Amino acid sequence: MKEINLKGLEQEVYQETLENGLDIIFVPYKDKKNYFISYATRYGSEITTFQPAGEKKSRKVPDGIAHFLEHKMFEQEDGIDPFTYFSESGTGSNASTSFDSTQYICYGTKNFKENLKYLLNFVNQPYYTDENVEKEKGIIAEELKMYEDIPEFALEMKLRENIYHVHPRRIDIGGTIPEIMKITKEDLYTCYNNFYSPNNMYLLIVGKFNMKEALKIIKEEVGNIPNRKEAKITKIKEPKTVRKKEEIIHSSVNVPKIGLGVKLLTKDLGEYDSLTLDLYLSMITTILFGSSSIFRENVRNKKLINNFYTEWESIEEYKVLYIMASSENPKVLLEEIKEQFKNVVIEKEALERMKKVWIANEVKMIDDIDSTVHNIYDDFLRYHKVIPNKVEQIRNLNLREINKIASKIDFSNMAVVQLLPQEKIKNEKK
Amino acid sequence: MKYTKKDLGSYQLHMIKTKKFKTITVRVMFRSPIVKEDITMRNILCDMFMQSSEKYDSKRKLTIQAQELYAADFQTSNTRLGNYMNTNFYLTVLNDKYTEEKNFEKAVEFLSEIIFHPDVKEKKFDSQKLDIVKSSCRSALNALKEDSSNYSLVRMFEAFDKNSSASYRMMGYIEDLDKINEENLYQYYEKMIQTNLVDIFVIGEINEKKVLELFKKYFKLKTLKKKRVPYLLPDKKPRSKRLIVKETSDTQQSKLAIACRCHGLSDYERNYPLTLYNVIFGGGSDSKLFKEVREKHSLCYTIHSVPNKLDHLILIRAGIDKSNYKKTVDLIEKSLNDMRKGKFSDNDIKIAKEYYETALEELEESEKRIIDNYLMMELIGTDTIEEKRKKMQKVKKEEIIKVAKKIKMDTVFCLEGVKNERN
Repeated sequence: MKEINLKGLEQEVYQETLENGLDIIFVPYKDKKNYFISYATRYGSEITTFQPAGEKKSRKVPDGIAHFLEHKMFEQEDGIDPFTYFSESGTGSNASTSFDSTQYICYGTKNFKENLKYLLNFVNQPYYTDENVEKEKGIIAEELKMYEDIPEFALEMKLRENIYHVHPRRIDIGGTIPEIMKITKEDLYTCYNNFYSPNNMYLLIVGKFNMKEALKIIKEEVGNIPNRKEAKITKIKEPKTVRKKEEIIHSSVNVPKIGLGVKLLTKDLGEYDSLTLDLYLSMITTILFGSSSIFRENVRNKKLINNFYTEWESIEEYKVLYIMASSENPKVLLEEIKEQFKNVVIEKEALERMKKVWIANEVKMIDDIDSTVHNIYDDFLRYHKVIPNKVEQIRNLNLREINKIASKIDFSNMAVVQLLPQEKIKNEKK
Repeated sequence: MKYTKKDLGSYQLHMIKTKKFKTITVRVMFRSPIVKEDITMRNILCDMFMQSSEKYDSKRKLTIQAQELYAADFQTSNTRLGNYMNTNFYLTVLNDKYTEEKNFEKAVEFLSEIIFHPDVKEKKFDSQKLDIVKSSCRSALNALKEDSSNYSLVRMFEAFDKNSSASYRMMGYIEDLDKINEENLYQYYEKMIQTNLVDIFVIGEINEKKVLELFKKYFKLKTLKKKRVPYLLPDKKPRSKRLIVKETSDTQQSKLAIACRCHGLSDYERNYPLTLYNVIFGGGSDSKLFKEVREKHSLCYTIHSVPNKLDHLILIRAGIDKSNYKKTVDLIEKSLNDMRKGKFSDNDIKIAKEYYETALEELEESEKRIIDNYLMMELIGTDTIEEKRKKMQKVKKEEIIKVAKKIKMDTVFCLEGVKNERN
């Protein structure tokens, strides 16, 4: 296995790619008692139109199918529920679906070998029947309703709808109730067969375990699984503009909420490798809007914010900045945010201080198994590799480049959605 | 892991030395018997601590100072522990060997600045800052109903027993918020500093002698010791006929919140058989409730139960469709009955014990949980991890059944989602 030393963090990572393309990443810890295993596929809710391997035509599967499939992996032909299997050794298990990946996890302190073997096996053996597919629809419908009832969630979905014209990220990861009702066992097998191949998957193990034993089990269980031909995912031509610049929705909220999305063409920001660009972008928003920014002090003193956060999203060709807030006066807050977008200049003091904070946080996070899993998982998904020198990369961020990138951000290409209480409708009519 | 306790007169200093972590975590805890009318005041006070101090007179300056200490993390929280209210100050900072000499000392000094030198002039908190904090608290209280899951729990407790501290809303009350001003907040602050019981925990790769010196230097308290009240709430009988309360909400999903009373349990029963009972009944993805209500009948996505041991309660929560209300409650009642009749296997017990074992082992991976464990040993007199492990292994099926017979559904609250009905 290839040994990668995470510089500045006193931690080794080991990596290997099996002949069939499955990527394996080990992060062994000497003084921890627990372990965490994540078995993942680069397949999430945003892949809904593709030409299945061996077929001639591209087809559209129902929205929300990747998430539905994730639920149905827990159905096994032998009737044993994976949750129950893992519980027998006091091991926790779960799964989650995002826009661009699905992962199956188990975590505990005992039975490492058996659990690893079982996790690989249950994800490698789908068992869908008409009956078990129907049964899941009621459960998922309740899950979708639960999310839709959360105002922040509803706001984000509306914002996504207004940022993207055609990209599937405009639809919730779970899909919609009418769409999931259409799902059949045949659809599930099609998706499974096309996207759960070893060369589209990776396995991450962090914590206390024996690497030799783990590698042996993985080779035995997955090493001989052949890859199917690759599916052709239909390219999405997402326009540069946002679909709808402004929208106001009235709902049963008591405290108004606002969401902004700034849509940027990646190539407009300059020639950078994706990690460097992502670090710079997130540093820019941390300095402009983070907890120690002048902006935050200002809007706090004006009593304009309750909750506030920013987040970047990357899709092919685009970077999208989300700003979400809860505010008694969203209109004024919006003006303040727009003001902040004008003539962005990053100061040296702020950059150096935030670099120190980020580096300290890297050290803190490597101490914690969950954070390490999260970081390495995300890096591998996004950059297709383990980043050996992140601390150094952070240290190398410089003032000239950050200001150069900041100057290229076109903040005007923006969608804004406001979620306002019902009674405001009456006021406006007057 | 080595545990040392020092009685410094006005507070106890608990030091836990371990090489497990790169950070040092400090928890300073002030506690006093809970008074409903004080909850909001205490929350506002917590927010004021994090807003500014005498030396750092804005939130930005406070934040920057924390960042300069290599991203030291400062947090406050108010929690209820039985009949007590705890105000916690947490500090997590990298060990000096990853930063620079005296960084930990500076962080402790900073923590003492936050607690003992608030932004106060002439016995008054800063009015502009108080205004900001109150406004933010008001918004959060106004938004209570937006989180239908939390709201349903709050409403259930109000119906359950308005006078029991189990029903107190830890996020506070609007009517109490209005009464808070710069002066009475300061008086309350003084009272907290002078009369509350205080415990300080420090965990990490530490030198106990140096830590002791540091705290003697920066944490000089003159606490007047107060009479103590029991942590456990009174053990009341369940209602003879269950109370059912319904309310509508502009949501799609309905939220079910149920309180079951556990009446007449011994300390042993509460700490051991009850824990296993809950794992089997509704604790996780392998529980009776999960299998019966979700997997077998597809009635929900979430359903689970949690024990509130000091309150003598088990809480059950689920997200369902309004039309399935009766069916769901019947299935929950059936599951309670199955537990009473002993309709669970030896394997279920074995699994629950394994679960507990793993939780104990994982506990040692988290600074906060290690502290919690020592805290409970100190306050409630719970067993050590080793004793817990041994006693739990010995729990018998009959003991779980005996506990099951003492658990009864008391209050059922349903927040009915009626959004679809208008369409």
